Amino acid sequence: MKEQGKWRVAALLAFVLVVVAAIGAGAARSAMSHKTAGGIIVDGTTDSVTNIDPAGNYDFGSGTLDYQIFQHLLEAGPGGLTPHPVLATKCGFRGNLKTFACTLRKGVKFHNGKSFTSADVVWSFDRVVRIKDPSGIYTLLSNLKSVKAKGKYGVVFNLKAPQATWPQILTTGAAQIVPKRVYPLKKIKPNSSSQIGTGPYQLKKFSPGQQAVLQKFKGYWGKPAKNDGVIIRYYTKSSTMKLALTRKDIDMAFRDFTPTELVSLQKTKGIVVHKGSGASIRYLVLNLKMAPTDKLAVRKAIAYLMPRQTIAKRVYHGLVKPLYSMVAAGLPGHIDAFKTTYGASPSLAKARAALNAAGVRTPVNITLWYTPSHYGDSSADEFAEIKRGLEQGNLFNVTLKSAEWAQYSDALGKQYGAFQLGWFPDYVDGENYLLPFYDAKSNFTSNNYNSAKMNALLAKEQATKALAKRIAFIKQAQTLAAKDAPIIPYWQAAMVAVSRNNVKNIGRTLDPTFIMRFWLISK
Amino acid sequence: MASQGTSLKSYLLTRLALVLPMVWILLTMVFLLMRVAPGDPISSSLGGHVPPAVVQEIKHRLGYDKPLLTQYANYLWDTVHLDFGTTITDRRPVTDVIKVNGAATLELTAAAMFIAVAVGIFLGLVAGRFRDTAIDMGARFFGIVIYAMPVFFLGFLAQLLFGSILGWLPTSDQASPITEALIVPKTNIYLVDTALVGDWAAFWDVFKHLILPATTLGLVISGIFIRLVRVNVIRTMKDDYIEAARARGIAERNVVYRHAFRNALVPVVTVIGLQMALLLSGAVLTEETFNWPGIGHSLIFYLDNRDYAAVQGIIVVFALIVVGMSLIIDLVSAAIDPRIRY
Repeated sequence: MKEQGKWRVAALLAFVLVVVAAIGAGAARSAMSHKTAGGIIVDGTTDSVTNIDPAGNYDFGSGTLDYQIFQHLLEAGPGGLTPHPVLATKCGFRGNLKTFACTLRKGVKFHNGKSFTSADVVWSFDRVVRIKDPSGIYTLLSNLKSVKAKGKYGVVFNLKAPQATWPQILTTGAAQIVPKRVYPLKKIKPNSSSQIGTGPYQLKKFSPGQQAVLQKFKGYWGKPAKNDGVIIRYYTKSSTMKLALTRKDIDMAFRDFTPTELVSLQKTKGIVVHKGSGASIRYLVLNLKMAPTDKLAVRKAIAYLMPRQTIAKRVYHGLVKPLYSMVAAGLPGHIDAFKTTYGASPSLAKARAALNAAGVRTPVNITLWYTPSHYGDSSADEFAEIKRGLEQGNLFNVTLKSAEWAQYSDALGKQYGAFQLGWFPDYVDGENYLLPFYDAKSNFTSNNYNSAKMNALLAKEQATKALAKRIAFIKQAQTLAAKDAPIIPYWQAAMVAVSRNNVKNIGRTLDPTFIMRFWLISK
Repeated sequence: MASQGTSLKSYLLTRLALVLPMVWILLTMVFLLMRVAPGDPISSSLGGHVPPAVVQEIKHRLGYDKPLLTQYANYLWDTVHLDFGTTITDRRPVTDVIKVNGAATLELTAAAMFIAVAVGIFLGLVAGRFRDTAIDMGARFFGIVIYAMPVFFLGFLAQLLFGSILGWLPTSDQASPITEALIVPKTNIYLVDTALVGDWAAFWDVFKHLILPATTLGLVISGIFIRLVRVNVIRTMKDDYIEAARARGIAERNVVYRHAFRNALVPVVTVIGLQMALLLSGAVLTEETFNWPGIGHSLIFYLDNRDYAAVQGIIVVFALIVVGMSLIIDLVSAAIDPRIRY
């Protein structure tokens, strides 16, 4: 019996040793497998993909994936902001700002070997407008009246109203080119089907919620990608992604770490945090039909007290910059309108004077809303600083409330008097930072701002071709926006990507377009 | 015998009849909870991005402004025909979510149950055998602590220790990126898919990725089995036939392993099935912690986006699994023990 017992123990030990050895051997084999795929960049992200079909998505995660597979007639960046020809060779307005014509590039092949022609361009735009996908991407083409082919390599866009920024619209996700008939005219192509574009990568495999595998397209018409392919890995938690990066399971991560995680990564050996100029902004929306923000004096007082520097330093550790206009800094036409009107730093005296002059009794009771589930846990810290700033000198009595995004997005303007929002531009132009916030027809903030003067300014801006004149209108709009203060901007973020130190050229793709161009990256 | 057979049949029919209202109540609760919760799928995806008029137009187009009763009737009709529709967020057929992500959950929960049973039964047996000793106290303490510990917290600790500090095991996902890219899914259970094609490097990669999440979930559930097996072993050890075996001079080890243990396990087998609900709920948190692409992970994604179709479909499947397992266990128990029948 004792002998039997000894054999059992020996067998158990042997089993454990075999498992451990196999794990180790398996680890060696896995490492070699990963090493032989050394030309593949593995990127982590906390974004998610809704639809890969360009006509069916209006979110960052899908857009980042699409940008590797599909292309546009015009694109902005890397580095510069002015749209330049990509699938087109030449584009321009004809006569007025309602007719825009492009000559197409010859010799471009789709991933299925089909040649790119004007029929594909017409098809691509027609289907976005027809499908009217619930993602809302079709709204970017709301000014498009028709698009017609002019021969095999020419297209003409006819617009409903003059729009000087139509070239910028052609750089958005709504304007990505797909092959005719391969993509249905009246419905979205499912993610499970093969996706065909003209871009530097072909989508080889898409596992929803897990990863997208992109392989370098050998028949690409332009400069080939600097790597053999990209795997985009999707995470729900940034902490899990951080672990994966430090363990070398992934090579880089783009979107989105918390400020604390970024500070920690900056100090981690073997990791580099890359920063480039960005164009995303954060702002406080004030409802003009709800007390107390219906009073201009209250809005001005908030503008005087907004603690931009404290938020940038204490909450974001310098990863964002104070913002003094809804138009992002670095864009043509940007002026620091709020700095000019309200000063660079908070001013208690001026805020008090503004309230006293209007006979507003203090402390003013105000509720500020924010949403950590959409804008991150740092929102709570951000609003704690805003609360502290506003309660200086007992001018305001601030109640902070939060809701998760699904509830929050439904209640905007209906229930909230002052609330947090953020913005990534659809296209990098000052206009895209004005129309969605100040134009009565396009305003999505539901803050009931409707200024005849502003509406007229923005209409003129859209109908002006000469850039210098347009910039003048953009500047005037910012000055008026600061004066009326229906929205208070407070920070602008850099475009940030984090990588292991063997990954090169990430900095080349960090610019205000906020597009990650994986084809420029190598390791 | 005839009356026993009739009794089992009527028990079976009664239980089956009870399943229908049970499932209907669950379906209705899911429907109402999703509609009562603030927000909707369209506002969630478009709010703060496009003008409110566009949001309303899309809601109207998709029928989310229809009367609640109309939406409920359509929902029940589709469910009865097992038409779970397409997710609103990413247009996936809900059946595809259930099939693909369900397979990942099955892989995780099967491995977790194996660990739960192995650890739970072993420690329970040892605790019962060496009652009131340090071994017994240690096993009981372990069982209580591990059962009380939130599964996600245990997961974080495991990731920190074995992934970050020691660097032994992967901390997330079902496989490494290259392995995942090369796997051709047939069953969507990666251990099976890699074994089927004989890709043993990939098999080990998948196996390593499974260790931490399965062990985390399995250990938490083992706490139940530890206590149950221990109590049953102690109770069985007091039975007359055990005394008789001892009196006949049979060695204590054989008395425990060959006689007491086997009989003590009978009620444990029925409990294993009943733990399915706990396993599934634990799997949701485990999948979130380890970025495991199971159906629980998907459920949270679709819940965040108020994706009615996806959430309803997934919950229906969860409900059917739990109800089905409970029914099977009840029927098996009734077949074994006539006292359980109505």
